[in-house]
Amino acid sequence: MILHNYDLYEDCYRVRLLASCTEQSLELINVNAFPGAEEKTAPYLKLNPLGRLPILEDKDLCLRNLSAILLYVAEQDAQKRFIPKDSAERARMMDWLGFACDDLSVATEARAVALLDAPGDVVALRAKVRQLFRILDDHLTRQSLKGEPYVAGKTPCLADIALFPAFALCRDFNLDHDEFPAARLWARQIRMLSGFITMPGIPDYH
Amino acid sequence: MTQTQTPRSQWVPVALSKMIEAGTSAGTVVNGAEIVVWRDTAGAAHAWEDRCPHRGMKMSFGFVRGDHITCLYHGWEYDTSGTCRYVPAHPELEVPKSICISRYGTAEAGGMIWAYTPLGTTEQDPPPVLPALEGVRSVYMDASVARVSDTLQQHSSAPAGDDAALCNAITLTLENTVVTIGLQQISDGQCALHIAVPEGTAPVTKEALLDWCEDLRRTVEGLEAAA
Ligand code: FES
Repeated sequence: MILHNYDLYEDCYRVRLLASCTEQSLELINVNAFPGAEEKTAPYLKLNPLGRLPILEDKDLCLRNLSAILLYVAEQDAQKRFIPKDSAERARMMDWLGFACDDLSVATEARAVALLDAPGDVVALRAKVRQLFRILDDHLTRQSLKGEPYVAGKTPCLADIALFPAFALCRDFNLDHDEFPAARLWARQIRMLSGFITMPGIPDYH
Repeated sequence: MTQTQTPRSQWVPVALSKMIEAGTSAGTVVNGAEIVVWRDTAGAAHAWEDRCPHRGMKMSFGFVRGDHITCLYHGWEYDTSGTCRYVPAHPELEVPKSICISRYGTAEAGGMIWAYTPLGTTEQDPPPVLPALEGVRSVYMDASVARVSDTLQQHSSAPAGDDAALCNAITLTLENTVVTIGLQQISDGQCALHIAVPEGTAPVTKEALLDWCEDLRRTVEGLEAAA
């Protein structure tokens, strides 16, 4: 699998983190996204007309939707360890995967405005992300009462991996973890997964 | 309804005990003052000024190892007395004892960690006396403490307890359970409620309390926004 990657993009980190936690190797092609905007040059627009990263290539496949990429990588894992077998649990996992990849794209945007000169209103975006983290924290609070420490069940799933970067990186746009105690404990569990890796902005202290 | 003002102690609840696991730290704010709450691996809780004396990095961004908390920025390590013990850039250096972080008086009671505020004041009163309680959740609201106390008194099925020993805490009967709510003022417009119940409370009751917390947050934030 080839990942067209930019180290500072959290969406690329999501894919690297998943590959590492599933013991799969990725061939990384580093793209000069900032300041070069290489993903918007002709050769890259051919791979992804949307002009975005990450892009995953494997044999004849060329994927550019984040959930599609994550699901594909998770399924290539021989053990499929992050895809719940139970259909209800899998449905819950997909629900939170959508939250991570679609709703929380405002976090990616907020961070790009704060760090990477992208246009946008960081104050408005931060307020949106805060609302979403409240939803996550409320949910994780209920999960832990049920004896289920992860978003879809008792064990970590693909959605947990996809959610982690948004939460871990929100200090980059000045949103603290103070108000989300359940999410803080959950994030600590994710850090302890075997194969866990960091990216710039996520301290490596365990 | 007349509001009985709860006497305000200088002991403020800053977290639920169970949410600060051994070997972890978290940041919080009381009346604008940033505080790091952390628990050493022996289990003792600490509340300090959230600021590294070196370059001002938040200590809550750092990490706990044994009975030391380490700053994320350049790795200075502090022992439980707040004194700097180790500077990685100068491992041979005997660190001057004068490099320390200011500490709050800290206590644990009723399933919560309490800090004696403001920073630098000597404790005039003993820590709150509460029975052993189990934390349910902390809920953060964009509303003043006054607004929350008001709403609690109007919307609760029983009047708030006015036991002076329960300063910065209110007791209510909800779902036939005595619920203790620790009130933390973060700023004029923000506060946290730390919710605790007697040990052994049924899960279904706790679940109903979670609904109640979310409803309360919606209500008070609605009132605050309309005010
Ligand atoms: S700022 Fe804390 S060690 Fe430098």
